[in-house]
Amino acid sequence: MALLGRLDWYNLARTTNWTPGSVTEDELFPPDMSGSMGIPLSKWESYDEPYKQTYPEYVKVQREKDAGAYSVKAALERSEIYEKADPGWQSVLKLHYGAFPRAEYSASTAEARMARFGKAPGMRNMATMGMLDEMRHAQLQLYFPHELCPKDRQFDWAHKSYDTNHWAVVAARHLFDDMMVTRGASEVALGLTFAFETGFTNMQFLGLAADAAEVGDWSFSNMISSIQTDESRHAQIGGPLVAILLENGRKEEAQRIVDMMIWRAWKLFSAVTGAAMDYFTPVADRKMSFKEFMLEWIVSQFERALMDLGLDKPWYWDQLVADLDHASHAMQMGFWFWRPIMWWNTPAGVTAEDRAWLEEKYPGWSESFGTVWDVITDNLLEGKKELTYPETLPMLCNMCQLPIASVPGPAWKVRDFPLEYKGRSYHFCSEGCQWCFEQEPERYAGHLSLIDRFLAGHIQPPNLEGALNYMSLAPGEIGDDAHNYAWVEKVRAARQKAAA
Amino acid sequence: MSEVEVLKPLKTWSHLAKRRRKPSEYEVVSTNLLYNTRDANAPYDLDPDLAMNRWYKQYRNSSPLQHDDWNAFRDPDELVYRTYNMLQDGQETYVFGLFNQFNEREHDKGLEPRWVGTLARIYTPGRYLFHALQMASAYLQQMSPASTITNCAAFQAADSMRWLSHTAYRTKELSLTFTSKGLGEDERKYWEDDAAWQGFRVLMEQVLTTWDWGEAFVALNLVAKPAIEEAVLRKLGEAGRHNGDTLLGMLTDSQLLDAARHRRWATALVKMTLEKSGNAEAIKQWIAKWEPLADQAIDAFCAAMPEVPNAAADAKSATRDFRRSLML
Ligand SMILES: [Fe+2]
Ligand SMILES: [Fe+2]
Repeated sequence: MALLGRLDWYNLARTTNWTPGSVTEDELFPPDMSGSMGIPLSKWESYDEPYKQTYPEYVKVQREKDAGAYSVKAALERSEIYEKADPGWQSVLKLHYGAFPRAEYSASTAEARMARFGKAPGMRNMATMGMLDEMRHAQLQLYFPHELCPKDRQFDWAHKSYDTNHWAVVAARHLFDDMMVTRGASEVALGLTFAFETGFTNMQFLGLAADAAEVGDWSFSNMISSIQTDESRHAQIGGPLVAILLENGRKEEAQRIVDMMIWRAWKLFSAVTGAAMDYFTPVADRKMSFKEFMLEWIVSQFERALMDLGLDKPWYWDQLVADLDHASHAMQMGFWFWRPIMWWNTPAGVTAEDRAWLEEKYPGWSESFGTVWDVITDNLLEGKKELTYPETLPMLCNMCQLPIASVPGPAWKVRDFPLEYKGRSYHFCSEGCQWCFEQEPERYAGHLSLIDRFLAGHIQPPNLEGALNYMSLAPGEIGDDAHNYAWVEKVRAARQKAAA
Repeated sequence: MSEVEVLKPLKTWSHLAKRRRKPSEYEVVSTNLLYNTRDANAPYDLDPDLAMNRWYKQYRNSSPLQHDDWNAFRDPDELVYRTYNMLQDGQETYVFGLFNQFNEREHDKGLEPRWVGTLARIYTPGRYLFHALQMASAYLQQMSPASTITNCAAFQAADSMRWLSHTAYRTKELSLTFTSKGLGEDERKYWEDDAAWQGFRVLMEQVLTTWDWGEAFVALNLVAKPAIEEAVLRKLGEAGRHNGDTLLGMLTDSQLLDAARHRRWATALVKMTLEKSGNAEAIKQWIAKWEPLADQAIDAFCAAMPEVPNAAADAKSATRDFRRSLML
């Protein structure tokens, strides 16, 4: 045979640890940067990544993947998919693009952290490819929305969002910065690649791709599922690391990081993905509910992945499963209610068909969230739109930075989890968020939520105008009802018909 | 209240819209992507005093290398992810084509055992060196102050892994023909102990533990890499040609194409930093500090190639030529 097989030389390409001579091991791999947890260099050499890919394979496969993604886009250029799409779907795109591309770029730096400071040579090579992958995800997800800029100013947020103090971006940065770029290589591998990418990216990049296919947005569907094929490779950086940590008696540390990051990712996704799947996507095109996707990908598949690696279910697992019934609805309520402070137009998603779907997927919805929408709907029917706008700002959680929400209805209760730490009061939306804070309070204590900043006088004038200005939102890009309240007329017609 | 301006849709991102020119694909997907430069007090959106925030404030924000607008940097090659893969898939197809053809012609069987002994000592251990370049470039990726710079560093890390992969491949292939040279076995020992490598090992250990991003860039891209490229790629490639190892020479030629690209972006970055006073002095001081280590490394390595006349002198002078071209 004229060429060697890849596995003939693969091991040599990852036999690259040496004993440093002019510096110490801890100087070459500072413990905080590598997250080495006191495990010496030699113990990391048994790290064995399950997904083996060489450099020449990488550039070939990735070139082909890109050729696919870009050519589908080019082929559909003139089919006006975007223009013809329901405004709810247009909002899914705006929300997605504002939330992800720049965070993907930051993930490239997270991979670079592992490529430099990981003590396992296999991890360093995998992460070098992961670093390029994340550059791909940023560039693809900037290239695609860029052509939509002339159609709608809100698409400027695909690039601009992360330069602002927008409340949702503060929440996204707080999570992603915690998970990806402010920890050592091992914690990045545990939190980003294992906890987040093995579970949650499926939700956004396969779940939403399924919805996109139903909508007929092939170029988006194809592009984000292509992204997920990269994720499913570099997500495997974390697994073999867990094996090393367990072998060296570090299960508790591994479990702690994984538990924190699953909780944190869950909170953010309940907002970004939950509302998009359960309300923004037109009801006829919803493949599954957010809860169903969560049950399939997180509660069953990811739970199995945890067990297979020898980790345990997080302590809050039952709580998380219980929250699946209402988290997306509470977030949606906030998105619509505070619609002027979004860079997308939130669809209400409560026509008769929507309500029937919601009650089917979330039994009891009508008796709880439905009652609030009844009041909103009545106000709109009576021409009292001003009553459907908020007068106050929501209380924000000092961990997830999302509104401290509650389940309305007969059992209406807002539960705040307060904490005093070094003379300052913190508020959390949940036991999980408070627990995350208490694990490493010094990581978070000095951070101010937008409400903290408001109360401290950083936001001037202290009203909606000041808040919009602080969040870099101006007329022309601020949100409103996605269907311009046309759904209200449908409700009116239906009620008149019923009355007749 | 005066009339509120309503923002209109733009043809491109608002940060690129002020200029007349239509932005290129490179600009659309590569510029102003870092957000850890927005708040000097808290690079990342957690406690401003977090250890990693202090790391970025000290080693990046307070570096002696300063510029008012790092985002103005442009890669002269304007590579984006998709064009990088096109470029390197082409290069890899070429290199693996060489591997295939030379294997079919039983190239390795024609090599002298003495030369294979030299390869075992000063060629195959190079994978450690290339991996060190990969790691050091990944550090620049995470510390550079603009996405157009981090992208160059990321590609450079991947290219270093490319070189390492070629070396691993050839190590294995050579070991099939020459079973008694310790190929695939002794590289770590040579890298850690053999006189030929100690200069480069120390140099790279020092580069890898240089945390200030400006100094790390200068030490890596202006001093260490040029030394490695001139000695371990160019001169070793020449030694190969002198010893009937045509394949090695052609392989290093392909790798040197990457090296030339790395020098183009490094040159452009230096040129941009010279717009601000103080930077030239900082860069010159760093070069003066690092050059002796690199020279020693070149001397030690080239001493193992007596068949190449003036190897060390040529290599050192080539690194000087490159640095002189920077017009510091
Ligand atoms: Fe990604
Ligand atoms: Fe990823």
